[in-house]
Amino acid sequence: MANIQFQNVQRVFKQHGKEFVALKDINLVVQDREFVAIVGPSGCGKTTCMRMAAGLEHPTGGDVRVANEVVTRPGPDRAVVFQQFALFPWKTVWDNIDFGLKSLKVDAAERARRIEQIIALMGLGGYEQAFPHQLSGGMQQRVAIARAYVLDPKVLLMDEPFGALDAQTRVVMQEELVRLARKNPRTVLFITHAVEEAVYLADRIVVMSRRPGTIREIIDVKSIREAEDWDQHKRIEDVMDLPSFVHLRTHVWKLLREQQGDDAH
Amino acid sequence: MIGPPLPAQRFWGLTASGAASFLGLWTVAALSGLTSRNFLPAPWDVVERFGQLLVTPFAGHVLLEHLASSLKRFAMGFGLAVLVGIPLGLLMAWFKWIDRIITPAFEAVRFVAPIAWVPFAALWFGTGIGGPVLIIFMGAFPPVLINTYRGAKQVDRKYIEASQMLGASAWRSMTEVLLPAAVPSIVAGLRISAGLGWQSLVGAELIVASSGVGYMMVKGQASVSTATVMCGMVAIGFVGLLIDVALRRVQQAIETRRGI
Amino acid sequence: MSTAAANPTSAGAAAAPRQGTRSLGKRVGGVLLTLGIVLALWHLLTAVTGLIPPMRFPTPAEVGVALQQIAIDGYSNGRLHEHVLRSVLLVTMGFVVAASCGVLLGLAMGASRSVEAFVNPIFLVLRPIPPLAWIPLAIVWLGLGDAAKMMVIFVSAFVPSVINSYTGVRQIDKPIFEAAAMLDVTGLRYWREVLIPGALPSIFTGLRLSLQASWTTLVAAELVGAVTGLGQILNQAAQDIFPAMILVGMISVALCGWLMTLGLGWLEKRVMPWKALS
Repeated sequence: MANIQFQNVQRVFKQHGKEFVALKDINLVVQDREFVAIVGPSGCGKTTCMRMAAGLEHPTGGDVRVANEVVTRPGPDRAVVFQQFALFPWKTVWDNIDFGLKSLKVDAAERARRIEQIIALMGLGGYEQAFPHQLSGGMQQRVAIARAYVLDPKVLLMDEPFGALDAQTRVVMQEELVRLARKNPRTVLFITHAVEEAVYLADRIVVMSRRPGTIREIIDVKSIREAEDWDQHKRIEDVMDLPSFVHLRTHVWKLLREQQGDDAH
Repeated sequence: MIGPPLPAQRFWGLTASGAASFLGLWTVAALSGLTSRNFLPAPWDVVERFGQLLVTPFAGHVLLEHLASSLKRFAMGFGLAVLVGIPLGLLMAWFKWIDRIITPAFEAVRFVAPIAWVPFAALWFGTGIGGPVLIIFMGAFPPVLINTYRGAKQVDRKYIEASQMLGASAWRSMTEVLLPAAVPSIVAGLRISAGLGWQSLVGAELIVASSGVGYMMVKGQASVSTATVMCGMVAIGFVGLLIDVALRRVQQAIETRRGI
Repeated sequence: MSTAAANPTSAGAAAAPRQGTRSLGKRVGGVLLTLGIVLALWHLLTAVTGLIPPMRFPTPAEVGVALQQIAIDGYSNGRLHEHVLRSVLLVTMGFVVAASCGVLLGLAMGASRSVEAFVNPIFLVLRPIPPLAWIPLAIVWLGLGDAAKMMVIFVSAFVPSVINSYTGVRQIDKPIFEAAAMLDVTGLRYWREVLIPGALPSIFTGLRLSLQASWTTLVAAELVGAVTGLGQILNQAAQDIFPAMILVGMISVALCGWLMTLGLGWLEKRVMPWKALS
C-alpha cells in the first residue's frame, strides 16, 4: 500500500528570531497509485510538502507517512525528480541511472537489465555514454526521471520537474509522463505552479493558499477525465480544447486568483 | 588606460633589450676584475659549469643524479600529502565531528613554517630520507587538505540531496559524489601544494640531506663556486616550473572533460 | 574550519558566517577546551605512559621549563624576547624595502606595457627560483651575517609583491579607466586615485604572501647560520639535542608569523574600509 499521508502537518520556520508559519494543518492522503498534483502561489509551501514526504525536510508538527511508516530520512523508496535535474555531471547517463540501483544491492546483471529497459522506455537509446552537459534540458530530465523510475520506488515525488524546460519540450515531456503514468501507474506527488499541467496530468489537484500554506480545495479530475475520455486524444492541445478541461482549468485558476486578490500582507 | 598591446616588433625589441641589458650588466660586473671569477662568474661560465655538472660528479653525483634524489623525496612527500590530505578533507567535509576535532589541530600547526620542522626532522630521522619527506609533507599538506575540504563543502546541495535520496552510503557519497565534485578545487590545491612542497624540499636539502640539488648548492657554496650554486638554482627553478606546467595541463584536461 | 582562503590571513577576523553566530565567549571556551584536551593527551602520551620517548618529543613540563629558561636566563646568546625582536626586526626591514620596490615595479609593469616587456625576461627567469634557493648564493656573496639574510628576505618578498601588484592593475575594470579618461585624470592623480586604489586588494594579497615568504625565509636562513634569532634557537636546540627547546622555538615562530599576519590584516582593514575581507 504505497500511499502518502499528511496528518495535521505544520511547518514553522525561524528566521532572525522571528517565526514564520509556512504550512498549517495539512491533511492529505495520496492513495496508492494515485497521481496527485499540488498547485499554489509561489511560497505557499507546496515544495516543502514534497520535501517532507521525501525526508529532506521535517514537519514541526504532525506526521508524514509513506506506506504507513513515518518518514525520517531520504531514501530510494521515495524517489525524487528535482527541478534542476541534479544529475551527477561527472557520471555518464548510464552511471547516473545506475547510482541508485547500486544502493538497492541489486546484482550487476539485473541492474543492467533494468537500466536498459528504462533507457528504452524513456527514449534515451544511444545516449548511455553521454555526459549530462552534452544533453539538452529535456533529455537530462528524462534521465532524471529514468533514474527515479528504475528504482521501482513506492512513491514518486516530482518537484516542478518541467519548470526548467522550454515550452515545447515541456509539452513533449508532459505527454510522455501521461503515457508512462497510464501504462505504469504509481503513487505520484507532483508539484507545479502551471495549472494546465496539473489538470492534464493529475487524478486529483490540491490547491493551496498562500503563506501560511493551507489546503484550499481538493479537486477530483480523474472522474471527469474518464467520463469524457480525454485519453483518446493523443495530443495535448486536443485535450486542452475540450470543454471539460477548460472548465476545470478555469475553476483552478479562479481559486488561485482569489489567493492573489487576498491582500493578506 | 593601459593601452593596446604592443606591436610585435616593439614587444620583442623591448624584451630583447631587457634581457640584453641584464646580461650585459652582469657580464660587465663579472669581467670588471672587482672579484674573482669564482665569486662572480660571467654568464657563460655558468653555462659551462652546467655542462660540467652534467658529466662530472660534484658532491658525490652528477647533476641529474642529484635531481633524481630531489625528485624522489619530493614525490614521496607530495604523494604522502595527497594520500592523507584528500581522504581527510573528504571525511572532514562529510562528518562534522571529524571536522571539529581536526580543524583546531590543523590551524595550530599550519602556522609553523615547514622549515621549522627541520630540527625535529634531523632528530627523528638523522640524514635519512624521512627528514626531507617530513618537511616536504608539512609544506604540501595544508593546501591539499584545505582545497579538498573547501571543494567538498561547496558541493551544490542538490547533489547531496540526490545522493541521499538514492540511498548512497557515506563511503559512496564521499567517493562518488563529494570527490568528483571537488576535483577542480582539489587539482587547484595540488598545484599550490606542489609548489610549496618543492620549495620546502629545497630548504630541507640545504640542511638535512646528503644528496640532491640543495645539497649540491650547499657544497658549491662551501667551495665558493658561485657558478655551481647558480646552476643549482636554475635546475631547481626549471624543474619546479615543469611540475607546475604539468599540473596545469592536468587541470585543463579535467575542466574540458567536465564541460566547465 | 572556515572556507576562507587557503592562506593564514586574518584568521580571527574573517570568520565564516556559521562561526560568527556563536558568541565570542563560546568560541574562546571551545578553544580552551580543545587546548586542555590536547595538553592532557600530550602529557599522557609522553610523561605518563612514555609511549613517545623523551628523546623524540618533549613532555609539556619540559617545554615549560625550557620556556622559562630561555625567557629568563637566555639560550643561545640571548633571551627569548631578544631573539624575537631580532628576527622580527630583520623581517620587517627586509619586507618593507622589498615590498616597496616590488609594488612600485609591479604597478609600473601593470600600467605600462613597455615596462612590462622590458622587465619580463629577467622576471621570467628569476620567478621560478624558490626563495630558499637563494640562501647558498647569499652566503657565498655576503657571508653568514645579517646582510645575507636581508638579501634573501628581499628576494623572497620581492617577487609576490611585483606579481600581485601587476595583476592588481590589470584586473581593474575597463569602465574605471574610461571614466578616468573622461574625467581627465592624469599624472600623479591617476596613480593615486585610480591605479593604486583599484589594485589595492591585489597588492595586499601580494603583501601577505611576501610577509609569509619573508618570515619563512628568515627562519630558514637563521637555521643555516646565525648568531641570534628564532631560527638560530632551532639550530642550536637541534645540535644540543634539546627537543623541548626545539618546540619552544617552533611555537615562537608560529606565533610571530601569525601575529604579523594579523597585523597586516588590521592594516588592510584600515586602508581599505570599503572592501569586505573574504
